[in-house]
Amino acid sequence: MVLCLFNIISKKRMSKSKQGILDQDQLVQRLKARDKSALSYLYDNYSAAIYGAISRIINDEDVAEEVLQDAFMKYWDKIGSYDDSKGRLFTWMLNLARNLSIDKLRSKEIKKTKKTDDISTNVYNVENENLIYQNEESIGVKDLMKNLREEERKIVEMVYFKGYTQSEIADETGIPLGTVKTRLRMALKNLRSVLGVG
Amino acid sequence: MNIEEYISSGVLESYVLGELSESEIQEVEQMSAKYPEIKEEIIQIELSLEKLAFKTAVEPNADVKEKLLAAIEEEETPVIAMKPESSSSWMRYAASVSILVAVSASILAYTYYNNWKNTEAQLTSLIAQNQQIASDYNVVNQRLDKIENDFNVVSSSAFSKVTMKGTDNAPDALADIYWNADTKEVYLSIQNLRELSQEQQFQLWAIIDGQPVDAGTFNLTDGLLKMKNIAGAAAFAVTIEPKGGSINPSLETMQVVGNV
Repeated sequence: MVLCLFNIISKKRMSKSKQGILDQDQLVQRLKARDKSALSYLYDNYSAAIYGAISRIINDEDVAEEVLQDAFMKYWDKIGSYDDSKGRLFTWMLNLARNLSIDKLRSKEIKKTKKTDDISTNVYNVENENLIYQNEESIGVKDLMKNLREEERKIVEMVYFKGYTQSEIADETGIPLGTVKTRLRMALKNLRSVLGVG
Repeated sequence: MNIEEYISSGVLESYVLGELSESEIQEVEQMSAKYPEIKEEIIQIELSLEKLAFKTAVEPNADVKEKLLAAIEEEETPVIAMKPESSSSWMRYAASVSILVAVSASILAYTYYNNWKNTEAQLTSLIAQNQQIASDYNVVNQRLDKIENDFNVVSSSAFSKVTMKGTDNAPDALADIYWNADTKEVYLSIQNLRELSQEQQFQLWAIIDGQPVDAGTFNLTDGLLKMKNIAGAAAFAVTIEPKGGSINPSLETMQVVGNV
């Protein structure tokens, strides 16, 4: 399954990962056995995808890289708690990185504004439009998004490019939570064929 | 449970995004263990998000990996004193987060309590205002009714107007009677009468067959006063009497008089 991911990673990555192609189970086993070469392999193959998710939430490059490092430290420290029966390794990694990013953004915002109330509003004052569209341009996500209807696109952007939870989107936009959920679902479903899933 | 409906509710996307509560997670995992199509759907969603992440990957600076590996080396160096240190710093972090959460919650609670109190006070004040407006409205409405009634009397051809002019006692005094001979209704309109003491009242008399007949007592007031019904009057007059009126008029106090 990891193999199919390689197709969409840059060529540079391909050459690096030639040191050995591991499937997810083997990788997890080796990580659980505290094999540092497995961590190195994990980093080489997943850091860009994870960093993309982090940097869409955190504007500041230094802070985003700090979170990336924290995330991989966590993967290394917490791999014992990863249960492959409950989901794919990448899903676990992505959610952990997203949570770290949002926590970091909150703590930074609080320090900066010295405010303790209305945290959630402050968090999303930092918008990352330029970075988002820059990325979209360079890797054809804009074309990808063309397959979506406007209302689906908006939900995907908020969830995927800004790190909102669906409940937060419902609060922010006034769209009922159930509608947000079905729209995200339709959006991801529509993206499947384009992404070559299923 | 309808599997299609369950899948299309979007709960599986929320599950994959890590947005569900512990009990919701358990429910999804039970469903997933029971129904292969749900398990398959979860994998599809995971793969979609995974591919999207790789499509939108951003290369970090090369030195992050070095720092990461160095940090892990350092972490794993067996320095006995390091362990409690790191755990206490974690505790400090946890404590500061707890305090932050507690402070935020207190501030929010206090703010909302104040907002609630203010709202309650505003509501009470609005209810009082509303009652005042309703009562004012009733007063105005009653006055309007009276003015309409007065206007009807004054403008009706069924009422004849009798002007009562001042006597020698009060040359400037003036009052009018509106009298309907058919219905016997009598209305009094004061134009100019003097102020009386607390113990005194004006009394209207109708002169019928040369005899004064009581038509009611009154005080100074605006608009028309409805007096006692009178039939066959030849003249009207107003005297000043002790409060409550007299059986016979005190003619020496007569203020105004007018013939029909």
